[in-house]
Amino acid sequence: MDVIEHTIVFTLFGILPIRDTVLYTWITMGIIIAVVLILKVLKPNLLEYILEMVISILDDAMDVDDLHPYIPLLGSLMIFTLFANLISIIPGMKSPTADINTTIGLALIVVFSVHIYGMIKKGVWTYLKEFASPIFMFPIELIGQFSRTLSLSMRLFGNILSGDLIVAIVFSIVPYLLPIALTAITMVSGVLQAFVLTTLAALFISSAVEINEEDQEIKAKNAEKRRLRKLSKTSEKGTN
Amino acid sequence: MENMTPEVLIIIVTTIVAGVVIMFGTMIPTWAEGKAAEKAIEGIARQPDAAPQLRTTMLISMALLETASIYVLLVVLVILFANPLITRFFGG
Repeated sequence: MDVIEHTIVFTLFGILPIRDTVLYTWITMGIIIAVVLILKVLKPNLLEYILEMVISILDDAMDVDDLHPYIPLLGSLMIFTLFANLISIIPGMKSPTADINTTIGLALIVVFSVHIYGMIKKGVWTYLKEFASPIFMFPIELIGQFSRTLSLSMRLFGNILSGDLIVAIVFSIVPYLLPIALTAITMVSGVLQAFVLTTLAALFISSAVEINEEDQEIKAKNAEKRRLRKLSKTSEKGTN
Repeated sequence: MENMTPEVLIIIVTTIVAGVVIMFGTMIPTWAEGKAAEKAIEGIARQPDAAPQLRTTMLISMALLETASIYVLLVVLVILFANPLITRFFGG
């Protein structure tokens, strides 16, 4: 089947083989850049409206005070996945996300960025302590991280691949009219999967960066202790 | 039935199993998704103000339920197009 198998299109500099997935990813990136540049010149308001829409979706999904650190990653994830899912409606093109390697890459980016955001927000030691508390939960948490990566990548891959596959099968049986309806369903599923991937990433990040009340109490107590110590030190200095 | 080599037998069994598996694997998650949609619609009818939140939660949970049937589809694709049993026992 043409949808499942991937081929090496050409080799770069004679040593670097380029698969068709990479080529279609580059085409997707080019289309995104072209669309953004054209909209920036012709309809700046429309571009702003689209970006506001993305931000409002993220704002609904995340429960954080300041959204700004997470917008670049999640917004670009959403826009890239959306274009990559929808690009297969152009004849002769295949979705980059119908290849397991692309989706595993995206899922790894999401899973690692969750921990990095958590460490930035809470500090490395606090985050790791919370990750392994109580200590026997640590292996379970590790398995959870692994299965999260697997399920994120498999969900996107399976949905997009099954959509493309069904369209290809029906096209080989009934080439007229019927594939149009199935392509419409595929488009809906592609938009939904982009939305779901971004929402899940946003949920993971907001659950990693949320500070629960006990921690805040401990933090406040520590700050109080530090202040008292500082005060006593300064008073000692004053007496000396 | 005279030219029934073991490979042919494995292919026949695989095809039948794939059909049965895709039937159950789509039936049960779809039923569960129907239940999720039913409850969400009930909630929206009772509280129209909470519709956006309910819709988002319903979409996420339905996508998570859909994952089960996607796994089934992947297993079926593997045993149909890249059957590991044939290559293991008969060397391709």
